[in-house]
Amino acid sequence: MDGGGAMLDEVDVRHRLGLDPGTPPLVALRGVGKVFPGVIANADVHLEVFPGEIHALLGENGAGKSTLMNVLTGIYQPDSGEIVVAGYPRTFSSPQDAIRAGIGMVHQHFKLVQAFTVAENVHLGWDRTPARVGAAMLEARTAELAARLNLAVRPEATVADLSTGEQQRVEILRVLSRDAKVLILDEPTAVLTPGEAQDLFAALRAFVAQGNAVIFISHKLDEVLEIAHRVTVLRAGRNVATRWASDCTERSLAQMMVGREIVLTDMRTRAPGIAGPGAPVLRLEAVALKGVLQDISLEVRAGEVLGVAGVAGNGQRELCQIMTGLAAPTSGRVLLDGADISRAGPGAVATMGVGHIPEDRLASGVAAGLSITENAVLREYRDRPVSRGPWYSPRAALDLARRIAGAAEVVVPDFAMPVRNLSGGNQQRLVARREMRIARRAIVAAYPSRGLDVGAINMMMRYLTELRDQGVAVVLVSEELEELLNLSDRIAVMFHGRIMGIVPAAAADLDDIGLMMGGQRRDRAA
Amino acid sequence: MMGWRLQRLPSAKPRLAFLARAVSVILALLVAGLVTAAAGFHPFDLGAEVVSSSFGSRFGIEDLGLLLTPLIYTGLAVAVGLRIGAWNIGAEGQFNIGAFCAAGVALFVPGPVWMVLPLMVFGGALGGAAWILVPTLARAYADVSELITTLLLNFVALLLVYYVATGPWLDPSGHALATTARLPVAIPEFWGIVHWGFPVAVAMAMALAILFALTRWGYEIRISGSNPGAARYAGIPVRRHLITVMLMSGAIAGLGGVMEVAGTVGRLQGGISNNYGYLGIMVAVLARAAPLGVLASALLMAVILNGGIILQTQGLTTNTVLAVTGLILLFSAIGDELAHYRVIRTTAQRA
Ligand SMILES: Nc1ncnc2c1ncn2[C@@H]1O[C@H](COP(=O)(O)OP(=O)(O)OP(=O)(O)O)[C@@H](O)[C@H]1O
Ligand SMILES: [Mg+2]
Repeated sequence: MDGGGAMLDEVDVRHRLGLDPGTPPLVALRGVGKVFPGVIANADVHLEVFPGEIHALLGENGAGKSTLMNVLTGIYQPDSGEIVVAGYPRTFSSPQDAIRAGIGMVHQHFKLVQAFTVAENVHLGWDRTPARVGAAMLEARTAELAARLNLAVRPEATVADLSTGEQQRVEILRVLSRDAKVLILDEPTAVLTPGEAQDLFAALRAFVAQGNAVIFISHKLDEVLEIAHRVTVLRAGRNVATRWASDCTERSLAQMMVGREIVLTDMRTRAPGIAGPGAPVLRLEAVALKGVLQDISLEVRAGEVLGVAGVAGNGQRELCQIMTGLAAPTSGRVLLDGADISRAGPGAVATMGVGHIPEDRLASGVAAGLSITENAVLREYRDRPVSRGPWYSPRAALDLARRIAGAAEVVVPDFAMPVRNLSGGNQQRLVARREMRIARRAIVAAYPSRGLDVGAINMMMRYLTELRDQGVAVVLVSEELEELLNLSDRIAVMFHGRIMGIVPAAAADLDDIGLMMGGQRRDRAA
Repeated sequence: MMGWRLQRLPSAKPRLAFLARAVSVILALLVAGLVTAAAGFHPFDLGAEVVSSSFGSRFGIEDLGLLLTPLIYTGLAVAVGLRIGAWNIGAEGQFNIGAFCAAGVALFVPGPVWMVLPLMVFGGALGGAAWILVPTLARAYADVSELITTLLLNFVALLLVYYVATGPWLDPSGHALATTARLPVAIPEFWGIVHWGFPVAVAMAMALAILFALTRWGYEIRISGSNPGAARYAGIPVRRHLITVMLMSGAIAGLGGVMEVAGTVGRLQGGISNNYGYLGIMVAVLARAAPLGVLASALLMAVILNGGIILQTQGLTTNTVLAVTGLILLFSAIGDELAHYRVIRTTAQRA
């Protein structure tokens, strides 16, 4: 691939970043390569990050972004190439090594100890933690660090009780407290509300203003354009280009990532000959769940997409649980094709033809330590041919896993490897495909595009419309209004566990939806 | 420039992990040899002595078989629990209770052998399961860690056996000081002094291997053990499985006690469990919780224990054996970690 031509002139880069001509990059990767059995994750990658810069790293799912950063932080050793820090070639044999050299990373999936307090987590495995120390002192030190670095955290809180945004701030504090000059964030905003994302951006801007740098991995192109100075795009493990963000558009970035133009079509309009919404499939009647959901009534019809909008954490998770049998409502009823499934349990509901793409894939969608095969058959292991009577056939399971991976367009070198070795986006594709296979009546898709690249999002949306056209009732929970408007027939807006209104997407007014997301009820319900 | 580097993989290759196990055992023996040599013994002579008295004669092999049998039961008991992520530290106690129940049946239930023997086996297994019932329910319904609860019950079981063997059930003939009378019913012999407890244990290991690898139930246990959240999502009854598996674990340990009291020892006496329950933890860990692996690691453990008995006659204390087993565990832990690494050749270019 032609990388050299697309590289920026270094002198010009320093000039535009307002640096002296001789300033060395804070880190530089030169010709880095990394191979896993059966996969080339990185090949000949070049990357330079200068002081004061927020550098975005883009690429499709499985392009090698996380791997490249794992190489930079000493989790993996490069098979070829070198890492240069402030002008000197370095090798890191562990993340602790890398952080000592000023390079720290916050991972796609957090690595905090859930049962410990914020203060304990910040001080864990840190050579400057005093040997004898009490809880009060740890908390005082943490509070002081947090104030200095301008990150709002509660030192005495237990991590398990924190929201995702708070946990992320703890992770960042952990890294920054160790005097990191380069902060790497792997898809940090995938799990944040838009408000939390804005807070994060403010903190990042303040951080780089002091001569530090941030490497920012994201699939959200609008955000990348908003926050990054420069953008490096990887495709199939190789450099495609490095550009100034101000010279790019979402469209041009998407094209660089995928290598072709992505056409976003209006997916709400059905092809000729496809019937519109039919009879109600899934019905919620005055459903309440103690303390979280109140008085939720809605129905989803066959061949219809019902969008659920709202800021994450307003009861969407519980709503999905209720619709898929994972939780039983404290009052009210859930009906599937007229049958009461309020207390049927998740297994029975799935057997009745309801698929579920869960919002927290690692906590409930997969068993990360088990093989790809074992995870792929999670929904169909009870049926022939994977099971015959009480017997489980590993060979039939492998066959099925092959078919699911093929349909999900995930390349798997070894089906026996733990599913956690797959890239985040590829895990998501696999789960989505697995669920679509059993979704004969309905599918509940919670943030299905989370962690997916633009091309894959498009594909996911197409899958959902295919299901819709086959007469499946689709519930799409999302924070992306554009996505919701593009796909949904009607949009329900959630706020504090209630539905503020349900509007037809064709006539939806963005401001109106925004107001409902903020808690204002719509006078005229549709 | 060519260089060599270590690379850490997130998961260890099974073959490499197995190799690491083997190497760690050898290393542990080597260290033990060096230490004994430093203390003025001749490790090679001692080693030869152990090997020849364990394997050199039919009696040696029969002795080994008797030592091996309880280790397979307790090893399987712990391994079964680990399959669903439960640490049964209480195999020692369940083993004692199994022996207690079997002895009780044998001593106080009159009847023909064909009736009493199955009753003993059944009673012992049931007793083992009952002994883990409370920790099981506490874990399943209140999320209380089974580590502590199972451990604590060990002492209760141990004391109970001591009490009955020296008190109410004491041999009325007056010949024995701290045991019950000889049980009127015994596990029949299978080969020499090795009783049927041994082939049953081996068959059980094979059955469990098939159960875990090739049944739908085994698949559900794997998912439940690896991520209970995902299991619930798939409609797998995690709690029911946890209860079943933990009770199974207790029953297997109890069965070990039955075989020991009615096959090997013939009387119920204090300390009949002989630390087999704790050694079972090590057997299971060494076997990476694989039922067939338990057969191999139990054999290794039996050889070491047997070696200890022989070494005592040579002037070494039993602590030597404890030290060797400890070393093996230590080296295995290190080996496990090292199995994650791979040596790779790098071709780093200097700019
Ligand atoms: N430990 C591993 N063993 C085997 N293959 C791996 C391992 N880690 C990553 N890979 C493979 O390397 C490739 C790159 O993965 P990586 O996680 O870097 O992708 P990514 O760009 O971060 O994708 P995403 O956007 O989906 O997170 C993938 O094909 C992945 O399956
Ligand atoms: Mg990634």
